[in-house]
Amino acid sequence: MEETGKRRLNVAATVAAGIVYFLVCAFPLQKELVLVPGWTRSLLQAPAAPAASSKKSGSAQGSVSTSPLPFRLGGSFGYFTPEGSILFAGTAPYGVALAPDGYAAYDRLSESFTIQSPDGSTLARVASVGYPFFAAGRRFVIAPDQATVSELSKNGAIAWTYQLGSVATCFDASPSVAAFGLIDGRIVGLGTSGSVLLDFAPGGSHIPGVYGVAVSPDGLLVAAITGLDRQRLVVMEKRSSAYRVAYHRYLASDYRRPVNMAFTEDGSRLAYESPSGVGVYDRASRSETVIAVPAASSLGLTTMGGRLMVLLSGNGEERRLVCAALPDRRVVDLGLKAQLAFVETRGDSLYLGIDQDIVRMDLVER
Amino acid sequence: MKAAGNWRPRVAAVAASAFALLGGPAFAFDWPLAPPRIAATFGTYAKGRVVAGIALSGEDDLVRSAEDGEPSFSLEEGANPSGLPTPLGSFIVVEHQKGLAAVYSHLAPATLSTDTKFKSGDVLGKSGRSGWIEGPGILFQVFDRRSGSWVNPLLVLPQLAVDKPPVIRSLTLSHADKVYVLGETASFPQGTYAVSVDVLDPADSAWTPGPLAPYGIRLSVDGDEVANLAFDVAKGKGGRLMLSSVSPTAADELKTKDGRYNLAVRLFPRGRTTIEVRVEDAAGNKRSASWSALVE
Repeated sequence: MEETGKRRLNVAATVAAGIVYFLVCAFPLQKELVLVPGWTRSLLQAPAAPAASSKKSGSAQGSVSTSPLPFRLGGSFGYFTPEGSILFAGTAPYGVALAPDGYAAYDRLSESFTIQSPDGSTLARVASVGYPFFAAGRRFVIAPDQATVSELSKNGAIAWTYQLGSVATCFDASPSVAAFGLIDGRIVGLGTSGSVLLDFAPGGSHIPGVYGVAVSPDGLLVAAITGLDRQRLVVMEKRSSAYRVAYHRYLASDYRRPVNMAFTEDGSRLAYESPSGVGVYDRASRSETVIAVPAASSLGLTTMGGRLMVLLSGNGEERRLVCAALPDRRVVDLGLKAQLAFVETRGDSLYLGIDQDIVRMDLVER
Repeated sequence: MKAAGNWRPRVAAVAASAFALLGGPAFAFDWPLAPPRIAATFGTYAKGRVVAGIALSGEDDLVRSAEDGEPSFSLEEGANPSGLPTPLGSFIVVEHQKGLAAVYSHLAPATLSTDTKFKSGDVLGKSGRSGWIEGPGILFQVFDRRSGSWVNPLLVLPQLAVDKPPVIRSLTLSHADKVYVLGETASFPQGTYAVSVDVLDPADSAWTPGPLAPYGIRLSVDGDEVANLAFDVAKGKGGRLMLSSVSPTAADELKTKDGRYNLAVRLFPRGRTTIEVRVEDAAGNKRSASWSALVE
């Protein structure tokens, strides 16, 4: 009990310090952009289940004023609204697929699952062996072999199934292409009907493998971190009907685990984890810069309206929240102590999860 | 049923084709989990998927590198920043010799070694039940980078010391809604039938995901071999997993809905016919059965 009290006090102090920091030390990001604190909410006071969890069916949008944001914090997951209402903070039996419009909690030996809206109403029941995962408005299932993927239709039926041929290591999707990185060094891009849009092994390394993959929101760029000895960044661009290598560079990294990488919402830049910080690839100029952040065992990566890159890095309890004006000007660098953390953005708002609290901060013009 | 003749040379030839893919001698690896208790053989069909490796049972046991090697990828259960779930749980990929990469899956969380070189026998982690696996143990898969194929690990592991031969339960001829189980019927009308067989390899494990696949199944009709299904390699092709180096068969067409192996579609003209099924496991144990029936 005393330990919990201390922990709460620490969290409160961290949040307060963060708020004071932003109030006192906030400085213009360019000349007119400032981050200001919004609300703080505790997950401890949130319902453990969605309001309509007992409903048989319903609409996802019926009971919430604005589209809620999903969150995952350690073993907890749920939704909150931009206005500061925590819809629920529940736990999954083993895992959960999360998207703004719905979620599916599943067992370790999942043979079926239910897709539910944020308010708990049932959207679809799915009979498929494996684990669900959602991205870019699309819903997928990966089979126990980690090599067979299926896409679900809106009603939960299997729309198509594709056997990738080797073990999938990473994934990203746009509305038009779902890209999978494989241990055999191939990147396979599948269209909305399961057609193969891309099947390419970049090569150029002693040991093949794909450690990270990212797809631009328009689906025209697919980037990947590939190979060992030496590892490299490969960016492919769709021209006519085929993807071709538009940029590649050997890296100093030697990652043997999945690498964090993502495109900005507007698709203008790609950010990826590197030993010297976060690499930023500019689509227009086909050039790179680096935002220097300490090497971290975990990294949350998101962007705000294409203007700010937001990074949450961590080693154990030590976290750093870094905001950088793109391409590479670091403007906020805040240390945090938290066992669990996440960062999420929507538009010009930033949502920071710290252990059992969620904090909102807004980017405003002054 | 009658006793089988010695057809080991044929199986050896099938194995040799797989060895050719490997480009080297067999039995190059050591068991990653010892003593080996096979929970699933290569080709075992379970929950709509074919196991392209072998499952070994064991809980909290040390999992060792099967050969000298270098890890090329490792992942803790549920820790993929891309959001891709990890049905293989906590797993590690080790690059061994001759272009073979081994995947050691379903290890106990937080036990994965972080070393960057392994000698044969070095500890990679502990067996567990992370990810989608029916019981405690590991899934051990061998990927031949040169051919882009999964290889039956039993081709590169020391031979199993088991003496239980595979079991042949029944042979069935089916056409539309007509089903004839040979042995239960002495005759059937002439026509074209799908021939399927219910066989399995006895398990030596406390759990299995399903009836274990043998190493090879052969079907002969009136002395002509009409099917030769070898569980030696598997390769992705056109979005499907194809099994067998001799007669590639799509994994999703490998079995009937009620669990029998689809072997052939065959025209049976009038007259007496003799159908023989021969099955062998990876240790060389074999069994055969034959049926004689009148085609009317």
